[in-house]
Amino acid sequence: MSAPALVVGELHDGHLSDGTKEAIAVAQSVSGNDAVVGFLAGAESRAAAAGFGEYGVSRVLVAEDPRLDAAVASVVAQLVSTAADSVSADLVVVGGTTHGRDLVAHLAVRWNAAVATGVTRLDRTATGLEARRPVFGGRATETRRLEGARAAVALRPHAFPAVEPASVAVTVTTVPLDGIPPGHWMPKRLGVEVASRGSGPTLTDATIVVSGGRGVRTADNFRLVEELASSLGAAVGASRAVTDAGWRPQGYQVGQTGKAVSPQLYVAVGISGAIQHLVGMVSSRVIVAINSDASAPIFKVADYGIVGDLFQIVPALTQEIRRVRGL
Amino acid sequence: MEIVVCVKPVPDAETRLRVAPDGTALDPEGVKFVLAGYDESAVEQALLLKEANPGSKVHVVSAGPPPRTEEVLRAALALGCDSATWVEMPPGVSADPVAAARSLARAVSGAAHDLVLVGKQAGDDEAGVVGGALAELLGMPDFTAVLDLRWDAAAARLRFQRSTEAGVEKWESPVPCLVSLQQAWNDPRTAKLPAILKSRKTPIAKVAPDPSPEPHGATRSVKFELPPPRTGAKLIEFKTPEEAAQRLVKVLKEEAKVFP
Repeated sequence: MSAPALVVGELHDGHLSDGTKEAIAVAQSVSGNDAVVGFLAGAESRAAAAGFGEYGVSRVLVAEDPRLDAAVASVVAQLVSTAADSVSADLVVVGGTTHGRDLVAHLAVRWNAAVATGVTRLDRTATGLEARRPVFGGRATETRRLEGARAAVALRPHAFPAVEPASVAVTVTTVPLDGIPPGHWMPKRLGVEVASRGSGPTLTDATIVVSGGRGVRTADNFRLVEELASSLGAAVGASRAVTDAGWRPQGYQVGQTGKAVSPQLYVAVGISGAIQHLVGMVSSRVIVAINSDASAPIFKVADYGIVGDLFQIVPALTQEIRRVRGL
Repeated sequence: MEIVVCVKPVPDAETRLRVAPDGTALDPEGVKFVLAGYDESAVEQALLLKEANPGSKVHVVSAGPPPRTEEVLRAALALGCDSATWVEMPPGVSADPVAAARSLARAVSGAAHDLVLVGKQAGDDEAGVVGGALAELLGMPDFTAVLDLRWDAAAARLRFQRSTEAGVEKWESPVPCLVSLQQAWNDPRTAKLPAILKSRKTPIAKVAPDPSPEPHGATRSVKFELPPPRTGAKLIEFKTPEEAAQRLVKVLKEEAKVFP
């Protein structure tokens, strides 16, 4: 029997996030269904711990303290190290969020773990764990062997199916909060402004992303892209041309100097496909390009293309999607 | 304020990727290594902070093999960094990000530092691990995904925003701390010729790498692969926009199976 794997959970509206469900599935596949232990930190951790039981995880460790909702990664890493050692885990698995990646970076030193981030496949081989991950903006993949006695892995969002439900009773154990250096409590989170992206999903979290580029021509026209995104329940992205022109804020930018996304479906509207943009989206599963220029490089990486006037195609597409989805 | 900015030489974004003969890494033959992407943006952020806070100094550090590492340090000096430290790694050893952080920590801890700046991730391995590992080694708090970083001298606090899954978070922190920058919200400057010429003569301090028995770190690349070349988009044939829309929805539903 292999040593337990610790899944560090994150909550979304009080429930385990999609990334956490993916992490449970991965931990079960490499360590065994009964060898997964959950971990939660923060004010809601104890109340939410039972959520692990809905996915077959019967042991959960919690660090229940409201300060942990806005703690720096070094604090969380110390608690996770303590938790992992308390159950003799040899592996920590987390979802591919900002906090997940931060945590494994700290565990590399704090818990002396071999780490990999952005992982799309994790296998236990005769020589140890091997993690596959896209590099160079999805233009290549590497397989990295995680050597040594401990490993910590952050997944790439949406690269794995979520765990199947399997209801079990949950035993909750408290992780003590001591030995945190006082200075690490001093940074203060002053507030969170939920991004003004309306009700849509966030860019890096979304399973569908619709992005607009220079081809939309004006800030006002960008609403065509947003309406298409809304019909699909997608997040809205943009190329650098759009954010540089100030048509939409910097936070929308997908690409080398913006966000990297890897949704199931990426729709590029009026984007020519400069390499700086491609490195941020080329690892999307299915790419659709709509552009009037048949020679635009975006058509080389896209799976499906429509060569045509976006001002005609996009409204028609939005209408058709709404019709088919019954919206 | 004493600012240390960490950079890494990465292949130019236009590089045509090829697999090295042993199949475990990028073939470095003919690759142009540059200061780019998030690191270029981090240097710019360091210089903006220096300009906004008279008396500040920017020290640039990098860990890597010759000649590329010295080249990016000189590029950063030409942009306006005051001094540089090079942790010279032996050629042919591909340090994993944690091993790189261990070496960088030796250079950073030897320099005055109120603020340590790193880019979000390198454009090649995209690990995003150096910042957190380095903060842990230096024993200071760190913040990732940071935008709009400012120093409030009166309150002796850094003020900044973080772009996380929760939205845009507003933070303040005392120094010393480490900040990993999200993206190029700044527009990096370009070096001027006299500064480039001067940078060639600026002495670069050297620090020995971390004397770990495993210089590559706790992870090792065992396979490096390129995806099969994309064959190009399947173009949707249509006579009217409505027909284009119907056909696209049909293939997304039935063939690609990604329709929500």
